[in-house]
Amino acid sequence: MSKKGDLLYSWTNDPEIQKKAELGGAVTTLWKYALESKMVDAVFVVTKGVDLYDAKPVLVTDPKDLASTAGSLHCGTLLLPKLIKKFYNGARDMKIGVTVKGCDMMAFYELAKRQQINLDNIIMIGVNCGGSVSPVVARKMIREKFEVDPDKVHKEEIDKGQFIIEYEGGHKGISVDELEEAGYGRRSNCRRCKLKIPRQADLACGNWGVIGPRAGKATFIEVCSEKGANLLDGAVKKGMLATEPANPKGVEIRAKVENAMYKLSDKWRKHDFESLGEGKDRLNKIMSETSRCIKCYQCIEECPICYCVECTTKNPTYVPPGELPVSFMFHLIRYAHIADSCVNCGQCEEVCAAEIPNALFMHSQQVELEKMFGHTPGINMELPLLAYVEEKEERLRLHNTGSDMIYENVFKPLK
Amino acid sequence: MSDEKAPLKYTTTTCPYCGVGCGLNLVSKGNTLVGVAPFKRSPINEGKLCPKGATCWETVQKPGRLTKPLIKKNGKFEEASWDEALDLIVKKFTEIYKQGGPKSVGFQTSCRTVNEDCYALQKWARCGFLTNNVDNCARICHGPSVAGLSLSFGSGAATNPFEDVLNSDLIVMWGSNAVEAHPLAGRRVMQAKKKGIPIIVVDPRFSPTARLADKYIRFNPSTHIALANNMMYYIIKEGLEDKEFIKERTKGFDDLKKTVEKYADATNIHGVDQETVKDFARQYAKAKNAVIIYCLGITELTTGTDNVRSMGNLSLLTGNIGRPGVGVNPLRGQNNVQGACDMGAYPNVFSGYQAVAVPENRAKHEKAWFLKEGSLPDWYGVTLTEQINQAGDPIKAMYFLGLNPTVSYPDSNHVRRQLEKLDFCVMQDIYWNESCEYADVVLPGTCFAEKDGTFTSGERRVNRVRKAVDGPGESKYDWEIIAMLAKKMGLKGFDWKSAKDVWDDMRAVTPGQFGVTYEKMEKPESVHWPCPTIEHPGTPILHIGKFSAADGKGTMFGLEYRPPAEVADAEYPFTLMTGRVIFHYHTRTQTDRSPTLHYEVPENWVQINTQDAKELGIAQHEKIKVTSRRGESIAVARVTDEVGPKVMYMPMHFYLGANNLTNTALDPLSKMPELKHCAVKVEKIKEA
Repeated sequence: MSKKGDLLYSWTNDPEIQKKAELGGAVTTLWKYALESKMVDAVFVVTKGVDLYDAKPVLVTDPKDLASTAGSLHCGTLLLPKLIKKFYNGARDMKIGVTVKGCDMMAFYELAKRQQINLDNIIMIGVNCGGSVSPVVARKMIREKFEVDPDKVHKEEIDKGQFIIEYEGGHKGISVDELEEAGYGRRSNCRRCKLKIPRQADLACGNWGVIGPRAGKATFIEVCSEKGANLLDGAVKKGMLATEPANPKGVEIRAKVENAMYKLSDKWRKHDFESLGEGKDRLNKIMSETSRCIKCYQCIEECPICYCVECTTKNPTYVPPGELPVSFMFHLIRYAHIADSCVNCGQCEEVCAAEIPNALFMHSQQVELEKMFGHTPGINMELPLLAYVEEKEERLRLHNTGSDMIYENVFKPLK
Repeated sequence: MSDEKAPLKYTTTTCPYCGVGCGLNLVSKGNTLVGVAPFKRSPINEGKLCPKGATCWETVQKPGRLTKPLIKKNGKFEEASWDEALDLIVKKFTEIYKQGGPKSVGFQTSCRTVNEDCYALQKWARCGFLTNNVDNCARICHGPSVAGLSLSFGSGAATNPFEDVLNSDLIVMWGSNAVEAHPLAGRRVMQAKKKGIPIIVVDPRFSPTARLADKYIRFNPSTHIALANNMMYYIIKEGLEDKEFIKERTKGFDDLKKTVEKYADATNIHGVDQETVKDFARQYAKAKNAVIIYCLGITELTTGTDNVRSMGNLSLLTGNIGRPGVGVNPLRGQNNVQGACDMGAYPNVFSGYQAVAVPENRAKHEKAWFLKEGSLPDWYGVTLTEQINQAGDPIKAMYFLGLNPTVSYPDSNHVRRQLEKLDFCVMQDIYWNESCEYADVVLPGTCFAEKDGTFTSGERRVNRVRKAVDGPGESKYDWEIIAMLAKKMGLKGFDWKSAKDVWDDMRAVTPGQFGVTYEKMEKPESVHWPCPTIEHPGTPILHIGKFSAADGKGTMFGLEYRPPAEVADAEYPFTLMTGRVIFHYHTRTQTDRSPTLHYEVPENWVQINTQDAKELGIAQHEKIKVTSRRGESIAVARVTDEVGPKVMYMPMHFYLGANNLTNTALDPLSKMPELKHCAVKVEKIKEA
C-alpha cells in the first residue's frame, strides 16, 4: 500500500497503452483504471487538435478513447480548471479526473476557495512542467532557429534544458536559454514560474529522476495525497500498473533538475520585474501599456480568479461603457481584485489582443503582496475574504437590497 | 438547455465579422453553443480576439431567428412551406424576366456570408436570368479599392499580408482606424510599435488608432488627393523618387509629375502646414521599406477610386511595392468582402475577376454552366445602389441575400421609397431585420456557426468556416436555397451536395484559385490566392518583380483634387464623417443581440468638437438632432477634441442613424456612394 510521500517508478502493463504512451504510460493507465473502476465519471485532458502545435481539451468517458490523448504537448497552453468551471458546472455534478500542470493545480485551488469548483469531485494527476510555448512562437522558432519546416516535426519535448524536436530525417536540440535570449522559447509567465512539480495534486508524475534501466521507460510518481495513493494502489492491484521504489540517485537528480529550474525562474523574475522600473516609473509603464486595451474582456474571461457574474469593470460609474481608450480604472479594478491571488498562469497575457503584458503586471504585484502578507496563491489554503461569502445567498441579498457592499456579510454575518 | 455532462465540442472556424479572418474555436454541447475558446494555433490572431469575435457565439441562438419561409399575404407575413415559397419566387422572377428581360431583375449578396453562397447566387442570376445585375456590398466599402488598385497595379487586392508590417521601416495608416475596425490587424501595428517601427497616422479624427502614432497628421476631411499630390511634389522636387524603379517597372510618371507640380502648396485645401507635409514626404520616400495601410476613409467618397490610385502613386513613385515590408494594403471591411468580389458577385466580372466583356470568358462559362453559346451578357451590370435607384424602373424584382439596405445604404429614406416600388422582393437572412418588411418573401438562411464554407480575408487568405451546430427550425444553407431555386427553374449545374462541391464548381472556372482546395485549407495557414495549381504554395505578397497588369507595369496617374459632392455651407455648416465602433458590426442585426456588446454601445452617438458644442450650448452626453438635406437623426453628443472644429463623426450602425443623413452621390469610376462626407446642421432638442 502506498502512502503520501512515496517516491516510485511506475510503468504500464497495458499492451494498448504501451504502444502509444511515452515514458512508461503511467498517467494514461491511471486514468483508465479510474474510469473503469468508476472512481471518476470522466477524465478531462488535453489532446492534439489540428496538429502538434494545437491542443484541445477533451472529456473522456470511454477508457478506449484515452490512448489518443497520451503524450505531452508543450504548445498546449490551456488552463483546464476555468473550463470545468465554465462548461462543467464546476464539477458539481460529476467526478472528473484531470491531468494538471502547476498553473492548473493552483487555479483549481483558487477556484475551489471561491466555491466555483467542487474539489471533492476532482482527482488531479500532476505532471512536471518546465514551461510551455505558444503555438505560433513554437513554429516560428522551429523555422527560424532550428531551420526545420514546422510541418515536418512529429515530436517535441523539453528535456535537460533543451527544446528538442524530432522530424522527418533527424532530431535537433537547442538550449532553452539560447532560444529565450533570442526572443523565442517559453511563455514569459512560464519562465518566471516556480511550480515545476505539482505536489498539491493527488499524484505528481514526470520523467525527471528516472535513471538506470528504467530511463525513458517509466514514470516517476510522487504520492501526494490519500486520494492519490488509493488511485495508484487500485491500478496496481488490478495489475494494470507496475511500480518499484525510485532509485535514490534518481530522486537526487529530480531535485537537482527542480532546483536548476528555480534558479532559472529567479533569473527571469529579476529580469522581468526590473524591466518594469520602480515606483512612478513602473506606474507610468503600466499606464502606457494598458492604454492600448480594446476591452475584449478576454483577460477576465480566461482568468482563473475572476468569476463574478457582475464584474465591477461593467459598473458604468467606474468604467464608462463603449469608450476607447478604456479608462485605466478597468485595469486598476483587475489589479485590486486579482493581484493577491494571481497564480501567474499567463492566460491574460497570451490572449491579449493589445499586446499588454498583463501577466507580468499582475505577477509583479502578486510577489510584492506575498512579501508583505506571506500568502502564496494556489499553494496556501487560507481563504480570501470573498470565500467567506455564500455566493448564491449573497447575490440574492445584493440583488434585493441594491447594495454592492459584498463585504458587509463577512464583517457582520447575517446568521 | 445544454446537457452538463455532454462532451464539449471545439469547432475550429473563422470569425464572422471583419476582414482580418481570425481563427477561433466555437464551443458547443450537443446542438447548443456555449462559448468561444481561443484558437492559439491560428497564425493570424494567435488566439487573440476583439470584443466582437469573443462574443460571436452569443448572437447565434437568440430569439428572433427566422425559422420558416414567410410569404406576405394581404400585407401580412404568413409562414409557408419551402415549396410554396420557392415556387412563388420562381414564378414571379420568371414572369418579370419574361416581360422585362435581364435588366428587370437585380441580385445582391452580402459580404458577410461564405464564398459558396456568393458564388451560387451570381451563378443562378447569370444562368437563370442571363443578367449581370449582380453585386455585393463591397460596392459601399472597398469597391474603389478593387477599381483603383486594378488600375494602378493590375490587381484589386491588398498587396501584402497583415503580419508583414513587422518587416517595415515606416507604417503609414491613412484613413484607417484599424484598432476599432480591424482590431487584430491593429494588433500587428501595436506589435510594430513595440518593435520601434515608426507609425504615422493620417486622419481627420484623433482615433484610437491615431493614439498609437509617433506622428499624427490631421487634415481636412476628404482632401486626400491634395495632400498626396503635395507630398509627391516635394518627393520629386527633392529628387527622392525611386528613379530606377520608375524606369523599370512603371509608366505614367510624366503625367503624374505634371499634375503634382500644381500642388506646391495645397495647405489651403488639406489644412496641413507645409513643413509637416515636407517632413512626411521625406520620411515616406526615404524609408527603406514603407507600407501604406488604408481603409474606408480613403474609399467611401466620390473621389474614392482616385484616392486609392493616389496611394498607388505614392508607392510606385518611391518603389515601395513588391517585396516584404512595403505595399498598399486596404483593410477589407467585412469578413468576406474580398471573397464576395472574388466569387464574381460583381456586375462586370465572373469569379477571379474574369471580365464579362471578354468573349472567351463568356464562352468558357457558357460551356461550364450548360448554357447556350452566346447567351451570357457582355454588358456592365447595374451596381448595388444604382439597383436601388432603378427599383421600379426598369428593375421590378430584387433578391437580397443577407443584406439590410434600409440601414446600411446611403440615404435610408430614399432606399425605403425605392424598395416600395418593386413588384417583387426577396430577403434571405438569419434574423428579421429592418428591411424585411419591404419583402414579399423572407427566407431563413443559416449563419457562420451553422454551415461549412470559406471566407477570404483581406490578405487574400481563404479561411475555412466549419459547422458547429444545426441552424434553427427549417432554415437551410444559403447556397442550398439558391440551388433549389435553380433546380426548380430546370437549370443544370446546381447539383451540389456540400459546400465543398460549390467550391470545386468555382475552382473549375477560376484559374487564380484552382489550387486553393479544401484539403489545403485544413492547415491553419491555409492559402493566399493567386494559387493557380495544386502544387502552387499561394502568393502572400503580390507584384514581386512584375505587376499583375497585362503589360506587367505599375501605372501612375496625374489626379486632380475634387471636392466632395456636398460641402458644408451656411445652412448646413458641419461636415459629417461616418465610421465604425469596435463594439458593433454594421447594422447590428447580430452584435446588438449580444448582451456584452449591447451594454457597451446601446444607442447612436455623434462626436462634436468642444468649441462647437460650447457655442451651441451642447453638454456632454446630451441628445441632439443632426439634420442633412435628406433626413435627420437623434444622437447622444460626445463632446471631444478628437474631431476638429466644424467636423462631426457618427458611427454608421444605427437604424434611423447616420444613413438618414448620408449622400447618395457616386464615385464615377466605382459607383461608391459618398458615405463619409456630407453637410449637416445641429440642433438642441427642445425640452418637451
